[in-house]
Amino acid sequence: MQLTGKQVLNAAPAQVWEKLMDIDTLARIMPGVSSLEQIGENSFVSTLQIKLGPVNGSFSGNMQLEDITEEKNFTLKVQQSSKVGNANAAVKVNLLPVDDNHTEVSFDGDARLSGILAGMGQRVIGGVANTLTKQFFTNLEKELAQSAS
Amino acid sequence: MSTTNGMIGKSVKRVEDKRFITGKGRYTDDIVLPLQTHASFVRSPYAHANISGIDLEVAKTMPGVIAIYTGADVAAINGVPCGWQVNFKNGDTMKEPKHPLLADGKVRHVGDPIVVVIAETAALAKDAAQMVMVDYEELPVVINAAEAVKTGAPLVHEDVPNNICYDWALGNPIAEVDQAMEEAAHITTLEFVNQRLVANPIEPRSYNAFYDEANEKYTLYTSTQSPHLIRLLLSTFVLGIPEHKLRIVGPDVGGGFGSKGDHYAEEAVLTWASKNINRPVKWTAERSESFISDVHGRDHVTKAEMGFDAEGKILALRVKTYANLGAYLGTFGPAVPTYLYGTLMQGLYTTPKINVDVTGVFTNTTTVDAYRGAGRPEATYLLERLMDLAALEMGKDPAALRMKNFVPPFDGVNQPGYQTQVALLYDSGNYQGVLEKGLKMLGYEDFRRKQLESAQNGTLLGVGFSTYIEACGLAPSALAGALGARAGLYEMGQVRVQPTGKVSVYTGSHAHGQGHETTFAQIVASKLGIPIADIEIVHGDSDSMAFGMGTYGSRSLAVGGTAIVKSIEKIIEKGKKIAAHRLEANADDLEFDQGKFTVKGTDKSISFGDVALTAYVPHIYPADLEPGLDFTSFYDPANFTYPFGCHIAVVEVEKDTGKVALQRFIAVDDVGNIINPMIVEGQIHGGVAQGIGQALFEGAEYDSNGQLTNATYMDYCMPRADDFPMFETANQITPCPHNPLGVKGAGEAGTIGSTPAVVNAVINALWSGGHQVKDIRMPLTSERVWRAMQAPVNE
Repeated sequence: MQLTGKQVLNAAPAQVWEKLMDIDTLARIMPGVSSLEQIGENSFVSTLQIKLGPVNGSFSGNMQLEDITEEKNFTLKVQQSSKVGNANAAVKVNLLPVDDNHTEVSFDGDARLSGILAGMGQRVIGGVANTLTKQFFTNLEKELAQSAS
Repeated sequence: MSTTNGMIGKSVKRVEDKRFITGKGRYTDDIVLPLQTHASFVRSPYAHANISGIDLEVAKTMPGVIAIYTGADVAAINGVPCGWQVNFKNGDTMKEPKHPLLADGKVRHVGDPIVVVIAETAALAKDAAQMVMVDYEELPVVINAAEAVKTGAPLVHEDVPNNICYDWALGNPIAEVDQAMEEAAHITTLEFVNQRLVANPIEPRSYNAFYDEANEKYTLYTSTQSPHLIRLLLSTFVLGIPEHKLRIVGPDVGGGFGSKGDHYAEEAVLTWASKNINRPVKWTAERSESFISDVHGRDHVTKAEMGFDAEGKILALRVKTYANLGAYLGTFGPAVPTYLYGTLMQGLYTTPKINVDVTGVFTNTTTVDAYRGAGRPEATYLLERLMDLAALEMGKDPAALRMKNFVPPFDGVNQPGYQTQVALLYDSGNYQGVLEKGLKMLGYEDFRRKQLESAQNGTLLGVGFSTYIEACGLAPSALAGALGARAGLYEMGQVRVQPTGKVSVYTGSHAHGQGHETTFAQIVASKLGIPIADIEIVHGDSDSMAFGMGTYGSRSLAVGGTAIVKSIEKIIEKGKKIAAHRLEANADDLEFDQGKFTVKGTDKSISFGDVALTAYVPHIYPADLEPGLDFTSFYDPANFTYPFGCHIAVVEVEKDTGKVALQRFIAVDDVGNIINPMIVEGQIHGGVAQGIGQALFEGAEYDSNGQLTNATYMDYCMPRADDFPMFETANQITPCPHNPLGVKGAGEAGTIGSTPAVVNAVINALWSGGHQVKDIRMPLTSERVWRAMQAPVNE
């Protein structure tokens, strides 16, 4: 499943970058995260609670940040397993300065689903992914607004 | 012998429907045994992976868990057997890798069972199964049959090179066909996919097994189409238990469509486990499990070429098909794309040179096996698409093109049967007749006029034809054996007249929606001159009936019904001897009619009931005759039966959206003699709905990782009643010359004939608007049709 999205945020790239690289902030802004714990440099264990249509899924697994280019881009790799199937994703996140106070954040990646997760409603899951993306950006904007004020 | 009480040919209401529509049916899942336990299977979420570890520690501690078994526990047991053998062209036997009951360290498709958890309730079993931790090392995946044979493709089974189960050919030598093609004035070529379908019977698969320690006997209740076949395969080929120590009961079964004709690993696992834990074990598939573990149907990738002379006479047919068999061989799996497909390539036409070449291929997908029609819909789709497309390409009328190429009428009695180029001998046929009738129902000339007018107004109206034939009444055992069947294909019918004249009929033909309890009772009522209320049709229990080969291939009436007729004949013959003794007459002077034995030309008679009583209370009785009135017969048909027909679809395609509106559907089917017209019509309606389902709605879609992406009813589009116009059905009757009922079979006709008619109609509609499209991949969704219309228009 393709994962793509982009949004222009009211902050400079450095500010956005700082938020994205901060584990406590990440845990707050990523939808469904119930715990996020650093276990090594740029690697984490996570627990997610995500409701996918009729299936309420509790996911656990690892996340890594790779190919980090300061204030420009990084790749987020996620391996999560659950009773309803497993999800593996690799998402490249890009920060593009629009002007001094605006940054376009875009991501592009691929998620591989297996088990019931794969068989039940790609359309539903696509919709869920869009909702989660929207939530992520909304949360990130809030964080940025709070630090600005 | 008389058939005068009017029961044959009458639309008697189905006697079984009372219990079905009042919720009183008794299905496997309804059966609860003392000390019942429940199973849940852990299935692979990956299409291809090594299992590097299975951790049961947590699962074992879950509440209510009784036992957990893995592949290691059943490794010593034989795998799931295959019922048919197909040979390579060079004579080598097909590749038949072991199909383990539970994965043997490797999973080969999403849904492959790995672990079974048995617990006190189904919910507890499921909870515990979710705590089984399986570690996988994912392997590369191959999904498409045509891709799987290429060098370097991932191997589903390490010991099967290029994933090829067999390569097989039938018909005239390829050189002769190539030569005929050289001489053709026109060749129509079609490269297409006959997509994978999921059978979706309303009742999911369900099994309940128990072991009776006192009698050392196993019983398995199973939602199967073929109880005795399951007994034979499970006892002898899988578990190695004596056949008489295994009872198989197929109670009410809510549809099968071929998917319940297979012997499944879960049946064997439960039966084996029931002895280990000494308690009955039940499992019923959830719908999401059915999607990935019931056998699928179709899935061919084909290139077909048909050569014509300048007048439109067919000169040759050349076919190359890659048939996806899935990860393991189903019970009938190898036979479906060969003996039930290649043998039908003659169609209704006099094609003098035919070569069909089929490669059977393993892939990382769910097993593919018989699905309503099984091979014959694929053959019909190929031929009938070619015929309509050839007509468009050559600027000929598709009906006239068929008329020109039809085998002339023959009744199989005064005219011999028709020998095809592909091994079959057609029994009787009048192919012109069904097409003429269909054209009349359509109002063909008016339609073409209307179509022209519509095209001028920018409305895309299309008509599609399909004139099909099928080989049913499976099957003459000697021929089936020569073709690679590992069993005979006769049927058993026992007629037991009780002392009071009531009749119990035991048939080996299992019923799972076909209405046997009515149709068979009509035959018995008619032949014995007794009311249907005095007859019970019993099926589905291996301990109750002598044997049975089960229900598939539209065989129940032609083969199972005939076995019953043979037993009735024996009943009447013996009845005459008893009656003659009572009437002090000669048995040869007796006639049997309307339930009475009468001395010809006199009013001396004795009723059937009296004769029955005498047989069991033999006070006044022939000295040389055994008491009792009970006969068992086995009937092995002399030939297949060959139903045929003409299906016509009329569609309108919405120009802006590509949406297909099916306006009319006409089905003229010749299924031989008809016992119950209402049941035949019902079978045709259901079959047509499924066939149109393939054309317009259904299709299993795997992604490149081997995940079935539409494994729910939200995503797999099942046809609904409001998708259809009222079907216009009619029959022509050309009796089968080689069985006493003259019947051919009606269970699959609708599915076989309908699919190409609909697709042809859509193609025709597009051509009427100048879009000269050769093929659109099924199902013909609005998007696919719309995209096809975006190609450049030829004015």
